[in-house]
Amino acid sequence: MTTQDYLKTISKSEKPFAIYKSNKGFDLYTNFSKKIILTNKNIHNFINKISKHKPRRKKTDLFIGFFGYEILNNLIGVKIKKQKGLKFYKGIFYKPEIKIELSNKLNYKPTKFYKTNKIFSINLNKNSYTNIFNKFKKKIKSGETYQIKICTKYKNKSQIDALDFFCRLTKSNMAPEAFMIKDKDYSIISCSPENLITKKNNFISTKPIAGTLKKSNKLNKSKALNFFKKNIKETKEHNMIVDMERSDLSKICRPGSVKIIKKKIVEEYKDLYHFVTLIGGKLKKKVSSLEIIKAMMPGGSVVGCPKISTLNLLNTQEKEKRNIYTGSFGYIKFNGDMRFNIIIRSILNFKNQSEVSVASGVVIDSNAKHEFNENYIKAKALIDLYK
Amino acid sequence: MIYIIDHKDSFTHNVVHQFENFDNIQCDNFNKININKLKKAKVIVFSPGPGSPKDYSISSRIYKEFKGKKKIIGICLGFQLILHCEKGKIIQQNKIYHGYQSKVKVTSNNSLFKKNQKFTVGRYHSLKLQEPFVSKNFEITMRCDISNTAMAIENNKEKIYGFQFHPESFLTENGNLLIKKILSA
Repeated sequence: MTTQDYLKTISKSEKPFAIYKSNKGFDLYTNFSKKIILTNKNIHNFINKISKHKPRRKKTDLFIGFFGYEILNNLIGVKIKKQKGLKFYKGIFYKPEIKIELSNKLNYKPTKFYKTNKIFSINLNKNSYTNIFNKFKKKIKSGETYQIKICTKYKNKSQIDALDFFCRLTKSNMAPEAFMIKDKDYSIISCSPENLITKKNNFISTKPIAGTLKKSNKLNKSKALNFFKKNIKETKEHNMIVDMERSDLSKICRPGSVKIIKKKIVEEYKDLYHFVTLIGGKLKKKVSSLEIIKAMMPGGSVVGCPKISTLNLLNTQEKEKRNIYTGSFGYIKFNGDMRFNIIIRSILNFKNQSEVSVASGVVIDSNAKHEFNENYIKAKALIDLYK
Repeated sequence: MIYIIDHKDSFTHNVVHQFENFDNIQCDNFNKININKLKKAKVIVFSPGPGSPKDYSISSRIYKEFKGKKKIIGICLGFQLILHCEKGKIIQQNKIYHGYQSKVKVTSNNSLFKKNQKFTVGRYHSLKLQEPFVSKNFEITMRCDISNTAMAIENNKEKIYGFQFHPESFLTENGNLLIKKILSA
């Protein structure tokens, strides 16, 4: 079967499935034999037990799914007070029995009609955004945080064909950590560019993004690099994230093994350029999957720095649940290898409620208006899908 | 063994990783101190961290108890903590340095480092030492090349050392060398 046929078949079958960007194209996972809905209680047991499954040397010897933001906070001992918003699952993982390799070109025509709404409401207007922004600036001056990210949500009521959305998104915005999940009562679509964990044998790496630049006709990749290097604010923001990720890796890696592999490079996307660094290390002996997840999640670049005190500040100011946003999607293999992204640039559709979430950072020299607008640039590629 | 006291910072494990080059390391949170490890340690390190020294009274008590008995090293917040315990005043600075790379210069003849030698270092601080600062046996030995802000203190008699900048940051060149010299002093 061709990629197009597979997509048609999976859509008709109405079976739950997940698609994740691979090196060559995309991987489709389906025929789920197990579905584990995570809670603050069962998450430890779930992660610890994965490596105890008998490997059958199959490509499907793995669990694939996502951790939401809240469950990851709880995992590292950060409590979140009651927040309003969609009451979505804290995390779900599936055991697939089929994995199909798809090409990079995802062509799919919807067969049914969906009531898609083009109008969005925003949960934080410019004034309330500026309000939170100024509070955080004071906290930066007093040294309680060095950098903090405020999340904005665009919401509406819509029925969506998640597969159609995802295929169109990959055409407009191909991203190395893109993924989607479709199950009976929800779907997630994301063009995440950010890898949080790639672990193979005893090697682990992470690739934080800090710095975004909107594309224009006058700009090419080398000019973008020049911009980031000369822009003191972007450089400082990036430096902080790099040191924080080095520290997170150092918790689980052998002494002296944590190294910067690619320092401050520019990656190009449809609407924007990103400033990226790749950091890796060799894992200590006997580090468990749970320890790796606790050391690295939630990903620092979408929280701020230092992680714990900044999470505590965020959780008192953000009145609405982040849900999947800034959680992680990916898989853990039975042999302990894993790959996880950071869920950003994402749509969550749950019981026909859509949420598009984005965030941008506050550092000492940030400007509220600029950051508020940067949030819109990031959301645009997703909002455009509703047309 | 070196005991690193963590102030819930996201850079502490860079410090651990760096010190692991030289000795066995134990690291605990400031509110989960293990007395046995503390007693056994040859060196105590106060990590960087958010907030100001007065937020960490447990660490201040540890400093006062072991001053003169063990080698003590403070980094960023840890540096400010030592100064705070020595009656120095820690204040907000006008310009805030988070993720900043700058040059510092050795300004003293009594330093372990050569006078006028310059280092490129990474900085993450919104607070600084108010001067003049005078305390017995302590000397400010490095300063920011531009703003003149105090960047290192040394007390070679009681073996107490502090850096306002981050020797463990990837922004600091020769960070290992700085630590090696202080550990072997």
